[in-house]
Amino acid sequence: MAELVFKRFTLNQRIQHILFFASFILLAYTGFPLKFPESWWSSWMIASVGGFDNRTFIHHFSGMVMIGVSVYHVVYHILEKPRYDILFNLKDIEDFSQQMKYYLRYSDEHPKFGRYTWKQKVEYFGAGFGAVVMGFSGLLMWQPFEAMKYFPIGLIQIAGLFHTWEAVLASIAVFIGHFYDEHFDKFLNMSWMTGNIPEDELKHEHPLEYEEAMKNRPIGSSDILDPKHVEHKREKNVLIVGFARLVFTMIFLLICIWMIWMSYNVLAEAVRIYVM
Amino acid sequence: MTMVSIAILFLNVASAQDKSGDESCFHCHPAQVNEFQASIHFNKNSCADCHGGDINISGDVISINVMHTNFTGKPSPLQVTDFCAKCHPISTSAYKESIHWQKLKEGRPAASCTDCHGVHNIFSSKDHNSSTFTDNIPVTCAKCHANQTRMQALYYGISTDRFDTYKKSFHYKSYISGGKMLATCSDCHENHDTRVESDPKSSINPANLPATCGKKGCHEGANNVYLSGGKIHEEQSVYLLSFDAKRIVTYFYIIMILFELTFTFGLIFLGIASKFEIRRRN
Repeated sequence: MAELVFKRFTLNQRIQHILFFASFILLAYTGFPLKFPESWWSSWMIASVGGFDNRTFIHHFSGMVMIGVSVYHVVYHILEKPRYDILFNLKDIEDFSQQMKYYLRYSDEHPKFGRYTWKQKVEYFGAGFGAVVMGFSGLLMWQPFEAMKYFPIGLIQIAGLFHTWEAVLASIAVFIGHFYDEHFDKFLNMSWMTGNIPEDELKHEHPLEYEEAMKNRPIGSSDILDPKHVEHKREKNVLIVGFARLVFTMIFLLICIWMIWMSYNVLAEAVRIYVM
Repeated sequence: MTMVSIAILFLNVASAQDKSGDESCFHCHPAQVNEFQASIHFNKNSCADCHGGDINISGDVISINVMHTNFTGKPSPLQVTDFCAKCHPISTSAYKESIHWQKLKEGRPAASCTDCHGVHNIFSSKDHNSSTFTDNIPVTCAKCHANQTRMQALYYGISTDRFDTYKKSFHYKSYISGGKMLATCSDCHENHDTRVESDPKSSINPANLPATCGKKGCHEGANNVYLSGGKIHEEQSVYLLSFDAKRIVTYFYIIMILFELTFTFGLIFLGIASKFEIRRRN
């Protein structure tokens, strides 16, 4: 019995994702040392990219890449055949409450998700909101004297405030939330590389999409592939996958600790200045 | 024991004699002479140039004669300015335009040459050990300007948070991490010719800000600084219906981040817990 493999992301979408996360990681890596310039780890991080001015260049370059991808994504949505399954609808609220009931043991039934779960939609629009905030505030801070032709200096300082807060918010969402859900919980999730999702995973995670795909399955559709080797590969490389999982877990925990420590510091500083 | 200490004493004196003619001062002020010998003034100046007196005494007898004529043990700030002017007339005349000098002349405490450049341990401003080297300037200025007791005692009404507010700027962040793009205190406030903001000749007077910010290698072509005014050391803000926008942004994000942390870790925990539940059921 051959196992079905479903197309989840097109090559275009995968390249967008890779460019977006690569620039995101570079931006976070070169940006956070600026938040705590006197700590030992930030001087280490700055040295690892070859000094402060290299850091600035990488940050600006990655920022341009991220803005470019974000703009392209909007254009892509306008030009491509529009899909509405990423938009929020009432079912997301039902799914959310059902999932909470399931987690808190009020119900034995897990909600049946469609192509995108409510959490994925929140992440998608969160990333969109973040890209807009970071993009505009970053551009204002990049050329302050150009910006000051049109805006008062106070607005540029507020842009800086937005930039650091949104960076912390987005990094928690990506490095903890997104990493856990998509790459740790569903290890080894290769659909961001191959664009394919195996039948069992689709059935388990997106049952409604699976049902629809099977119902409307046209004969010889290019949307649904049928390579047998994917399943074999997964069984064969159990050691490699286990080792990869161990390494990923350690990196994930390290990033988690760093993010928690950093958000604690940022919050403590803000509370000291603004609340107390 | 006494023999050894006498030998050491003689050795010290001998080495001091080799290096300089200041052997008479060295007997009682070894720390000062050592500092002086490391400084840029050594070999060009002698103790007498600043302290007066006569070091050309006969023999190696330490006598009161050293301290005759115009000897000054601890020159006052005004005297310091006078004898620095002998060799550094341009710098001193620039300094005499500054607010520091104005206050000194009024008989109030303020920075004179030695407060910034050091007393005996003066180095070229290109020397990394110098207190006037670009990288060391913030600390040099902060010595007085971040010192609350000192600033309050003077009743000048100068805020002591200037170094702390500077620390929030990109100028400082670049400076502390060894970046090329940096500006320290003296880049904007001038080193010798430091004036109050209200002075029309001051580099930080709003009318002169375009020239100050637009220095070569800095923000060239900056001609709009005053128009969209604001003070770099102050927390500027935009008010929306009399609410401080900075405060609103901060509160918004504090709530968002607390909410996000609770939700992210809560869902991770609940997800893991529900998996154990499934395993038990099966």
